[in-house]
Amino acid sequence: MDTPSETLAAKIMERLVRENLITAEVAKRLHPKLAEGKLAPEDWRLAIELADRKEASP
Amino acid sequence: MSAFGLKKLTVEYLRGCTVPFVLPFEKGKKMMVVYGENAAGKSTICDAFEFIGKGKVGSLENRGLGKTTAYWPSVGRNASEVAVTLENTDDSSCRACILKGEVVAHPPAARPQVEVLRRSQILALVEAKPADRYTAICRFIDVSGIEASETALRQAIRDLAANRENAAARVSGNMEAITQFWEAAGRAGSDPMSWADTETKRDLNAADAEVAALGRVQNAYSRLIDYPSRLTAATERLTQATQIAAAEERKVQQCVQTIAADAAEVMALLQAGRAWLQKHPSPDSCPLCESAEKVAGLDQRLAQRLNSFAGLQTAQNRTKAAAAAVQQAEQQLAAVQDDACKDAQAFEQARAAFNWPADIPMPASPPVDVQAIPAWLAKYPNLSAQWRSAEATRQDKKQFLATLRQTRQTYLDNLRAHKELSALLPRLEQALKAVEEERRAFTDSVLARIAGEVGRLYERVHPGEGLNHISLELDPKRKASLDIGAQFCGGKSAPPQAYFSESHLDTLGLCVFLALATLDGPENTVLVLDDVLASMDEPHVERLVEVLYAEAVKFRHCLITTHSRPWKDNPRWGWLKNGHCQFIELDKWAAQQGMKLKRSLPDAEPLGHPLPQPA
Repeated sequence: MDTPSETLAAKIMERLVRENLITAEVAKRLHPKLAEGKLAPEDWRLAIELADRKEASP
Repeated sequence: MSAFGLKKLTVEYLRGCTVPFVLPFEKGKKMMVVYGENAAGKSTICDAFEFIGKGKVGSLENRGLGKTTAYWPSVGRNASEVAVTLENTDDSSCRACILKGEVVAHPPAARPQVEVLRRSQILALVEAKPADRYTAICRFIDVSGIEASETALRQAIRDLAANRENAAARVSGNMEAITQFWEAAGRAGSDPMSWADTETKRDLNAADAEVAALGRVQNAYSRLIDYPSRLTAATERLTQATQIAAAEERKVQQCVQTIAADAAEVMALLQAGRAWLQKHPSPDSCPLCESAEKVAGLDQRLAQRLNSFAGLQTAQNRTKAAAAAVQQAEQQLAAVQDDACKDAQAFEQARAAFNWPADIPMPASPPVDVQAIPAWLAKYPNLSAQWRSAEATRQDKKQFLATLRQTRQTYLDNLRAHKELSALLPRLEQALKAVEEERRAFTDSVLARIAGEVGRLYERVHPGEGLNHISLELDPKRKASLDIGAQFCGGKSAPPQAYFSESHLDTLGLCVFLALATLDGPENTVLVLDDVLASMDEPHVERLVEVLYAEAVKFRHCLITTHSRPWKDNPRWGWLKNGHCQFIELDKWAAQQGMKLKRSLPDAEPLGHPLPQPA
């Protein structure tokens, strides 16, 4: 059974992807780290920069 | 997937179980009521489930006993004899015993999930401090992992905001420097940046070419400026040598006139005679007159006569040396003139190879006649200084342009970084907002679900009493703190302990326990309720029993112990009659026989046994 953090991580990733803040690929990769509390500040920045670049050059 | 049903619980020497006791479970029935008078062993059965499921015996806790392990074995038994075995309908089983003071289940994976609620604990969650209440339910709302990642996101935003602020300060500083350059350069152009754009597009190679050409001209010129002194010196040396040669010649003439008119020819003859006698030391006759009369001592006599001509000979030698010196001086002068000619050509080549700007003074072509070079040089007395100044001006300009170019590039880089950060920051803030909202919504929804479930269960036991508006709320001012509230008589939410009766609080505590157990994989959970119905009056007990039966189907198994007579005697409960609930009655406990089943089937069921069974 998923932990509350895992369940919530899925919801958060879904919303971030929906709002084009991160890409689906990155969301899939970062999901476990988000739930485990292992996302570092630079992980967040890089994830959002990647989505930004993808949006700029689709 | 739900776990298999229970088949049999065997308890050995745990608490009141002085002889091994077997509790059989009827197939297909998910609820068991264990009835027994006080001290019949009901709590020992609950202890056995807690022992195998949680590795502890909760009934002994909070009685001032300290570490309770020593009291787990039956009287006269030791810890190594204590064992609880749970067999399942698929013939799998799990056995728990005590090893080195710890309860060990084998196989560990088969250890059942058990939740036990005792009479003494029923109010624990309701009356607990907010922090303890949070601890009790944190497994449903513990999102500490997300909170840690959220903190990292917050940190990323702080870092970015600081970086953006720094970038803005750097942009401002760079702009200020460019403005100062612009003002120093005479405020050309419409504004500092457009001026800097134009200036930095200048070709630095052109200035480099000018400086290189100027260097070549300076080198050639520096060689030419030596020639006036060199030519003068060479000419003077020639004049001096010529004068010396003439003087020496005059001295020879004077010598000859003093000795004899033909002294020179005589001396030459005598020198030739001595040279001949060197080759023929013992001649028979004189080689000149062919007389043998005075041939003896001829060499000595020739030497004596030559000595008398020594002054003339010295004068002649010096004349020869002076003539050689004149020849050498002539050659040196010719070499200097030749070099001057070549260097003048080299200068002209360097001068004519470049299109000189107006601020670099450049002389006319050097004269072909090298003797005219000094006069040509004299016409341009300050060329070297002017050229050095022009070169320094170009080096300064080059340095200035390099600095301006670097400053402008730094400005553009910082401006770009500032723009990127300004675009990124709102997206990070949007992400943080999303994370915060989702986290709050998730926690609120879990708490609302628990509170809703508590309210639903409570309303079924106390219908229409208006006490079902249960709320669970995290204290926003404190970490890990959970408040419980309920409406009373339509008023504002208040702590239920303040207004509820003991019976109502018991029901509320049981409902909270059931709601939490329902959330945590109920299909795998054996629910054990130890004498939790004592304070209720009969109507409420009936409704609670209905609730428990309805809820029991969600669990792997539900076991209820009670000493309440209605559970045994009341024949109206259809759920006992229709066989969905297994009824167990314990006989009175005695030390020799331990715990003993009095009967395990409802009264109605034995009547069906004689009937023929379908094929």
